[in-house]
Amino acid sequence: MEDNLDHIHQQALKDLEALENTDDLQDISVRYLGRKGVLTQFLRNISKLPVAQRPAAGKKANEIKSLLEKAFKEATEKLESQDEAAEAAIDVSLPGRAVACGALHPITQVNQQICDIFSNLGFDIAEGPEVESDYYNFEALNFPKDHPARDMQDTFFITDDIVLRTHTSPNQIRSMEKQSPPVRIIVPGKVYRCDSDLTHTPMFHQVEGLLVDENISFGDLKGILTTFVHQLFDEQTSLRFRPSFFPFTEPSAEVDILCVICRGEGCRVCSHTGWLEILGSGMVHPALYENVGYDADRYTGFAFGMGVDRIAMLKYGIDDIRKFFENDIRFLEQF
Amino acid sequence: MKVSLSWLKDYIAINMDAADLADALTMVGLEVESVADRYDYLGSVVVGSIEDVSPHPNADKLKICRVNTGDQISSVVCGAPNVETGMLVPLAKPGTVFPDGSELKKSVIRGVSSEGMLCSDAELGLGIDSSGIKALDLSLKVGDRLADALGLYDIVLEFDLTPNRPDCLSVIGIAREIAAIQKTPLNYPDYTIEDKANAIHNISSVKIEAPDHCPRYSARLVEKVKVEASPFWLQDRLLSIGLRPINNIVDITNFVMMETGQPLHAFDFDFLAENRIVVRTAAEGERFVTLDEKERTLGAEMLMICDGAQAVGIGGVMGGLNSEIETTTTRVLIEGAYFNPVSIRRTSKKLGLGTDASHRFERGVDPQGTVRAVNRAAKLMVELGGGSLVEGIIDEYPKPQTLNSVDLSVRRTHRLLGITPDAGQIKNLLESIEFKVENMRSEDVDERLTVVPPTFRVDISRPEDLMEEVARLSGYNNIPTTFPAMPAEGRTSDHSLGLRNRIKRLMNGFGFTEAITYSFASERTGDRLRLKDQDARRNYLHILNPLTEDQTVMRTSLVPGLIEAAVYNIAHQVKNLKLFEIGKTYIKSDRQNLPLEPEILAALWTGSRNDTSWHQGEIPCDFYDIKGCVEALIRALKIDNVRFTKIPDETCEYTRPGHTAQILIAGLQVGIAGEIHPLVRDNFDLKQTAFIFELELDKIMSLIPSDAASRPIPRFPAIYRDITIIIDRGIETQTVLQAVDDIGENLVERLHLFDVFEGNPIAAGKKSISFRVTYRSSTKTLEDDDVNDLHRAITDKLLNAFGATLP
Repeated sequence: MEDNLDHIHQQALKDLEALENTDDLQDISVRYLGRKGVLTQFLRNISKLPVAQRPAAGKKANEIKSLLEKAFKEATEKLESQDEAAEAAIDVSLPGRAVACGALHPITQVNQQICDIFSNLGFDIAEGPEVESDYYNFEALNFPKDHPARDMQDTFFITDDIVLRTHTSPNQIRSMEKQSPPVRIIVPGKVYRCDSDLTHTPMFHQVEGLLVDENISFGDLKGILTTFVHQLFDEQTSLRFRPSFFPFTEPSAEVDILCVICRGEGCRVCSHTGWLEILGSGMVHPALYENVGYDADRYTGFAFGMGVDRIAMLKYGIDDIRKFFENDIRFLEQF
Repeated sequence: MKVSLSWLKDYIAINMDAADLADALTMVGLEVESVADRYDYLGSVVVGSIEDVSPHPNADKLKICRVNTGDQISSVVCGAPNVETGMLVPLAKPGTVFPDGSELKKSVIRGVSSEGMLCSDAELGLGIDSSGIKALDLSLKVGDRLADALGLYDIVLEFDLTPNRPDCLSVIGIAREIAAIQKTPLNYPDYTIEDKANAIHNISSVKIEAPDHCPRYSARLVEKVKVEASPFWLQDRLLSIGLRPINNIVDITNFVMMETGQPLHAFDFDFLAENRIVVRTAAEGERFVTLDEKERTLGAEMLMICDGAQAVGIGGVMGGLNSEIETTTTRVLIEGAYFNPVSIRRTSKKLGLGTDASHRFERGVDPQGTVRAVNRAAKLMVELGGGSLVEGIIDEYPKPQTLNSVDLSVRRTHRLLGITPDAGQIKNLLESIEFKVENMRSEDVDERLTVVPPTFRVDISRPEDLMEEVARLSGYNNIPTTFPAMPAEGRTSDHSLGLRNRIKRLMNGFGFTEAITYSFASERTGDRLRLKDQDARRNYLHILNPLTEDQTVMRTSLVPGLIEAAVYNIAHQVKNLKLFEIGKTYIKSDRQNLPLEPEILAALWTGSRNDTSWHQGEIPCDFYDIKGCVEALIRALKIDNVRFTKIPDETCEYTRPGHTAQILIAGLQVGIAGEIHPLVRDNFDLKQTAFIFELELDKIMSLIPSDAASRPIPRFPAIYRDITIIIDRGIETQTVLQAVDDIGENLVERLHLFDVFEGNPIAAGKKSISFRVTYRSSTKTLEDDDVNDLHRAITDKLLNAFGATLP
């Protein structure tokens, strides 16, 4: 008898648990507490029980009835509040109110990365004029007048003696004139050469570096530039130093990195050599020390320079350098 | 410069494959740009078998050949007399590019289509026979690539040489480096001639009147030559590096130049008046026709090679048309000279005429190499041209080129390079490239070497030059990587770079994207900006050699670049734009040689104020949007005392009158903000309203405090009072607020303008402005009584000072 009641109770709670909406609740309520409901029937039938059992059974049945009524009420409230919340809910998938956010030019970003790396290596950042005298751009850097080395850089002239700087190297001289060793600077800036195609624009960006102190060796040059390349690309980027020529360094070295596109397999970007030229460098030519009044017996040093635009092209996979200066917002916003 | 492997092998046995060789040469400083199979162009030429030959229906001299190439049969029109059934012949398929540069296309010849071309030796660059189709050995396999079938294989290395290595502008020069890499010997050709007499001096002479320009002039005479096509091996050598064969005499001079690096010139001796050479400088304005049949006007500094009467060549650059070798030539004077590099370079630059010869002379040829080269050419002309040598050599050498020995310290070599080869090792390295080490000695703790570089190494003059040789021959990659000590002393980095980056980041935050535009401008930009004639920004810095017409001057303003960027984007359907740029402008200076390069921040806003979205439709941006950015920027930089006022009339012609403010900081004008003038928009073809601001960064930077000072947070509550007054609409609101500030004493904490209204019921020509005054004391809680008097005083002041009324 009592088992039967407990069973009804448990079953009712289970049904409540499973309900999904007010219709379900209505059904369950009718099934247990309605006029023909299970519990109602039970109470009606109490009179058919033996008299001795009637009080206990009636008490128990009424207890369960009130428990169920309470449970039904709670379930009703819960369902109602759910509906209310659903009505008040907002569509959180709609786009938020736009907060405009501009982008830094990719060249600025790469430039900053380069400057940050060298800053951390103890280099100061310096700047210099873009319209430069022949003396600083060429003469003091050991490019004599009428020397074929000047052909290495197609120059824009303002007058015979004033040019748009063809490299950031004039700041080697300007910096050394201003201070005595140790010198440890990098110089970011715009440079100009009269050249225009897929990989050349008449204006582009370089970062120059100069370190002069006692006992600086070619090994040190390799150390600093290797660290730099590893930080700019990654530790796996292998690099090679090969002899080259710049009038203001001796020995001179071109620094190639293993092609970041094909990893040395050979592709269009590296002209199928597997290597990419990214830095020019070398030990400071003694003629420069003579020009700025440094003691060439005492000091040695190295200098290097790199094209920021080219590095940005490699880092971002850009195939046409001219895109940097078209200022197409759909391009600029990608970085 | 190009060098073929087959030619190199005349002087050195090569024990590496082509790829390794290219790599090794690159790593000693001779950068190999490309490695290519010389016979790549034969890739589409195959062995074909002629199945049958039939007459061409429309041409007597042409035939139609059916050619079997294994997988197909092609019908080819051919005019050669020797085609017959059963022959094996080279069939070039459409797309083949011949050595002369022409490309074969599928074609219709006299109404019959031809699916290829049967080729002669000459057409394929494989020989000189052009009389008929090349008959191939019948043992070859039909359908094979011709190059494979004939075993044709030759690698051509193309070098990108640095200007300090003119000694490598020759096959022997490259071979010499290979010898050093391989540590194997180099076989020089025989350059010697044993003269038994001095006959040449009886027939000819050379007189150098300009020894500074021409320190040395050597010459030999060959007579009875027969000018004709060169033998195939000689043509082939030249073809292998991309030179076009001309005739045996000219080919020999080119061959010897490419072999030795010494440019030569061959004169028809009989065209030389008085059979002699005079070397002098030109007369200013003198005219001369060069071999390329162009008349050139000469300058007084240019070196001329003359005969007894007139000029016959521009020394070291190009010969004259008047003494060119012709088929009738029988006597040839061979010139081998050492010209002053600077002189040749100036002449070549001034004439805009660069040749293989001038390229070598201006970089510096071996002053001791003239006789060798002239001998070599003379011997070849005897051998290949059927000539006979006139005994004796002319060798005028008025200015002997001296060679200095260089003293090399072993210790300093170690210090500079970071490797420690001993004196013996250094000696071995230098000797491998023909340097002479004359003396080795110890001084104090250092060993020293006296080194004499070979005469062809014109780039060696200092110990560092020798150190580079040691380094490159040791291999740069064998130098261990080390690190310099970090400096301990504090650094003083340039403040402005950090500020510039901060400003860029702020502009990003305001929604502006950074542009970088060219520093160049068109000279017409001043007109397009409507700048006044006397505007300093019209005083452009001109580029003498601009690349394009719209890049002839250096910019004096960033505004045109931004407008052009906007036009570009609008043309690509992006109409809402916020762009900024930080860059230099270039202003001529009276006081110094170099221009001033003030740095400017400029920004442009056009289109919508906001992104359109489901929240809000598009609202066009206006003056107050761009002004708000300037204000926010200046506030973020913690700059005080900023004022915007109407810009004086006619001081900014590219912005719209009445919609332009000058920006003043502490009374100093630092920039402008405004709407672009509609006429300027028309000039740039900008189809929509746009707003700009410009700030002179150099002025701003000095006003930015390096550190902000903290102020206490107010402890007592404020009292707020609103004022509305009606004033003339021409009065700038800023001046009203300023007046309140001036009398407000320290109780007025803040003025907040919350309404400006014009129109009914306000009378025409008037406007009402409403602002809230925040009163606060730092010492107590203010009561109404504390501010009533002050508030009344403020109101009265405004009524008096501005002729204001209350609503």
